[in-house]
Amino acid sequence: MSIEVKNLVKAFDEKTVIDDISFKVNDGEILAIVGFSGSGKSTVLKLICGLIPYDSGEIITSEGDIAMVFQYSALFDSLDVEDNISFALHERKELRKKFTEKEIKEIVAEKLELVGLKGIESKFPSELSGGMQKRVSFARAIVTNPNTILYDEPTAGLDPMSSTLIEDYIVSLKHEINAASIVVTHQMSTITRTADRVIMLYDGKIVFEGTPEELLKQETPYTKQFVTASLEGPMQMQA
Amino acid sequence: MITLRKYLKQSATYKFFTQFGIIFADFLDTLGKITQMGLHVAKCVLKGEIEPKELILQCERFGISSLPITLSIVGMTSMIVASQVALEMVKQGGSGLIGLLMTMLIVREVGAIMSGFALTSMIGSSLASELATMRVTEQIDAIDVLSVDSVSYLFVPRVLSGLIMMPVVVVIASIVGVIVGAVTSDIFAGLTYRAYFDSAWLGLYMKDLGVCLLKAATFGATIALISCSCGYFASGGAKGVGLATNKAVVWSFIAIVVLDMVFAILFFF
Repeated sequence: MSIEVKNLVKAFDEKTVIDDISFKVNDGEILAIVGFSGSGKSTVLKLICGLIPYDSGEIITSEGDIAMVFQYSALFDSLDVEDNISFALHERKELRKKFTEKEIKEIVAEKLELVGLKGIESKFPSELSGGMQKRVSFARAIVTNPNTILYDEPTAGLDPMSSTLIEDYIVSLKHEINAASIVVTHQMSTITRTADRVIMLYDGKIVFEGTPEELLKQETPYTKQFVTASLEGPMQMQA
Repeated sequence: MITLRKYLKQSATYKFFTQFGIIFADFLDTLGKITQMGLHVAKCVLKGEIEPKELILQCERFGISSLPITLSIVGMTSMIVASQVALEMVKQGGSGLIGLLMTMLIVREVGAIMSGFALTSMIGSSLASELATMRVTEQIDAIDVLSVDSVSYLFVPRVLSGLIMMPVVVVIASIVGVIVGAVTSDIFAGLTYRAYFDSAWLGLYMKDLGVCLLKAATFGATIALISCSCGYFASGGAKGVGLATNKAVVWSFIAIVVLDMVFAILFFF
């Protein structure tokens, strides 16, 4: 077990956005969290990585780092690619002592090669395309070999080919570092190409849990509405 | 009863107190956050969590890049004061006191306070907008997720650079201010440089210089702390960045005036 979420509850200004949800993700498994905008998907990720505190419930993670790939990459725009990727190695006391500058350079080159971006160490984020920025943020996230990786809409805003590339990296990273991964997305290709299991959130609750194949079968009103992107159904968009 | 309540809610007095309550709550919230960040920075500094490379970069930004505008503002303020005071003092037979008056004024007040205003508008606003942009683009979240203390990484070099560089800036600005005062007195009132500088040192004591440096260091650290805090807690998009920058400038200006008053009461009464 790498991540276990038990009876998690989170409210903002008396509005409950996560309402008593529980799920597990094992090592080497990819869980997709899907749902319409505003259903609380990204909030779950922020709760897991500790960016916001939860009101009640429990989040149990295995020892080790949790990494997150942000929706808009969140690269440090004043640092070049090398400094972005090596940020944790330079700034975390225990890691700073562990590696020499030469070793850090080698790790950066190795991670860049893993995401197919060799030799761009000296470039700044503003000089890269959206897809390349996303891949650099992958490299930054995996630099400490985390055992949990959280992806917040990794393919949002990318062209279909870049999306496929990113989806392939998510799957290859799973094999490479055997991390437990959670992918928040509402893109069907990302769900079908990357996920082992899927949970669907609506109004802060889990309304479906199963495999991508089961999702595509549209056997419940929720899965039917989501897959067909219909306005008719139990899920109503918030005004 | 319901009608009375509805009427009261629409009244100007109710609206005034509601608005006042919101502003007061925001004031306490901001003050609490700045204090919290200040304590965190102090803890990090005591633990020796200082990144020399980043500190040097921020010192360069705080000191060297702000120098032209600070010198211009202090110099022009000195010119305005000297042009109005010198001629009148000569007419009243007090030409021997012009140097003393200008030096006291610049060392005790104008140098630090005008440099503080200049640095707030130039560096404070830039610190606040930089951190606010990092907040709204999730860069600060990324620092936290990478298990790096974002307050230590972002605040410590910036606040320390304010503490270290502001006294340097104020000393240089004060020297320029005194010299500009001499030149202006000569042009407007025909006062010789010798007469100006002979009296310049008469009212100046070591205590004045010490208080000036202490005040400058306090102003520098305060400007950096307030600006970083306002940026760090920004929310929303472009509007949030604008509001944070605005708040940083307003709070820094008010803090400079309040601290100046505290220094005046503590050391000169």
